[in-house]
Amino acid sequence: MVSGALLFQSLILGLLLGGLYALLAAGLTLYFGIMRVVMLAHAAFILLSAYVAWWFSSTTGLDPMISLVATIPLFFGIGYVMHRFLLARLRPTTMTMMSVLLTFGIALVIEGLLGLAWTGTQRRIHLPYGTSSVEFLGAQIPVVQIVSFALAALSLASLYLIMKRTQFGRSLRATIQHGQAAQLVGIDTTKVAGMGFGLGLATAAVGGAALSLQATIYPSLHWHWIGPLMAIIVVGGLGSIPGAAIAALALGTIRVLLEIPMGSTWAQTVFYVALFLTLMLRPQGFFGGRLAQRF
Amino acid sequence: MSDETGPVAEPPVDGDDVVLRLVDVQAGYGKAALVLRGFSVEVRRGEIVCLVGPNGAGKSTVLKVASGLLAVRSGSVWLNGEDATGAKPQDLLRRGLSHVLQGHSVFREMTVEENVMLGGYTVADRTALLDRVEFVKGVFPVVAERWSTTAGLLSGGQQKQVEFARALMVRPDVVLLDEPSMGLDPKRTAGMFEQVARLREAGVAVLLVEQNARRALEMSDIGCVLDLGRVFVRGPAQELLADPQLSDLYLGGRPAAS
Repeated sequence: MVSGALLFQSLILGLLLGGLYALLAAGLTLYFGIMRVVMLAHAAFILLSAYVAWWFSSTTGLDPMISLVATIPLFFGIGYVMHRFLLARLRPTTMTMMSVLLTFGIALVIEGLLGLAWTGTQRRIHLPYGTSSVEFLGAQIPVVQIVSFALAALSLASLYLIMKRTQFGRSLRATIQHGQAAQLVGIDTTKVAGMGFGLGLATAAVGGAALSLQATIYPSLHWHWIGPLMAIIVVGGLGSIPGAAIAALALGTIRVLLEIPMGSTWAQTVFYVALFLTLMLRPQGFFGGRLAQRF
Repeated sequence: MSDETGPVAEPPVDGDDVVLRLVDVQAGYGKAALVLRGFSVEVRRGEIVCLVGPNGAGKSTVLKVASGLLAVRSGSVWLNGEDATGAKPQDLLRRGLSHVLQGHSVFREMTVEENVMLGGYTVADRTALLDRVEFVKGVFPVVAERWSTTAGLLSGGQQKQVEFARALMVRPDVVLLDEPSMGLDPKRTAGMFEQVARLREAGVAVLLVEQNARRALEMSDIGCVLDLGRVFVRGPAQELLADPQLSDLYLGGRPAAS
């Protein structure tokens, strides 16, 4: 018999986890929207940022979030360069397939470098507030999860404002929606797409730091994340950031709720069940999804 | 940049009112055979020049070369008397050329306002931009009426007007129109041709590609029949219309196999 309090606690934890997934998936769906790139290395970059946060925090004793001051601009730059010198050189007709191979390779390189720099030992950040929790209507909510969620919400809100309110955001959306027409109104689409990639990778920097607060990390961990994240963006409709956010919140919540009867291993299958159901019932995804239809 | 253009065939004469001139252009896609094999055309101020010809003759390619989307292999492009060969679309836009693509090319998930304002992406002067908005709203009432609507929700004909308005935001001297009647019903097509005539009245030169060839020639000044990547015949539009042989071959005397 499941008590109401446990259910309520799981619901809150699920929403918090889903919010974090939403941020992690936003970058992934953005790359796909920009140029049909399947970015398998996204989770590896998230892990890289988590490692940097851990390393920064354990060597200086300062809060791991301060590492974002360096990783956000650094990741933006890496994203821009990666698009300009690697992805933009792929032939457009085979872009999607070849990007899988290319970014798979990049993921392996990052994993290897992480092992080289910090060995395969499991790492975890120790924070003064690491084990504390707050009580909310009878539910115990760990502080780290609240911090992660707040960071994710803040980043997604910034992403939304950048896309909707800035000239760069408008030119990026124009490039995504009709590349040639964007060129013809005078947008330098190659540069804008590169900056869009940088923006996606900057979300990985934030996501990694947020995850480092609550996860034990080791170099091959990113393979456990990329699957659920890919499933989320397909369910949400490839290329749709709001779709990814809604799918992430929903699936994250369901996953945590299923842990009560099924345990955490089986609960994880919810992502793949949702992926298969989506492909069977509505292959273009449940929200947005115009891009997938174009395939 | 002009180093890569090869020998210049025919530098435009000063004081000449030719806005856009393509000289002996060869162009194609990738490693495939050339699409344009020595194509030349000129468009004068306030004049509508209509390109007609069978599918695959290279009509859209002419426009892509003129707007810088596709590089020439040889030959040259002149805009307002200056060499524009090899220039990028952004550059050509600043120099007075805009291009309305075939099919629907509005930014579907943006509002009409965002679409039109993006037309002025290269215009830094905010006041000039707002003046221009009033101008295009006057020319295309739909733009004013549906200002805050998502562009993808408009009908095909309305979307076309948004595209025209977007192209006019830079005060172009010449506008390239690729199959503007595609996907429109006959009534909307008539309306669209009226809009094109308004462009001419606004002093803009138009280079038009139309599969609705007869109707397009009726409103054009000059007609240019394109076949196998060259100009097959060129002359005043009314004369081309009157030629029975041309009519049979190119102007839908028989239904085209599109």
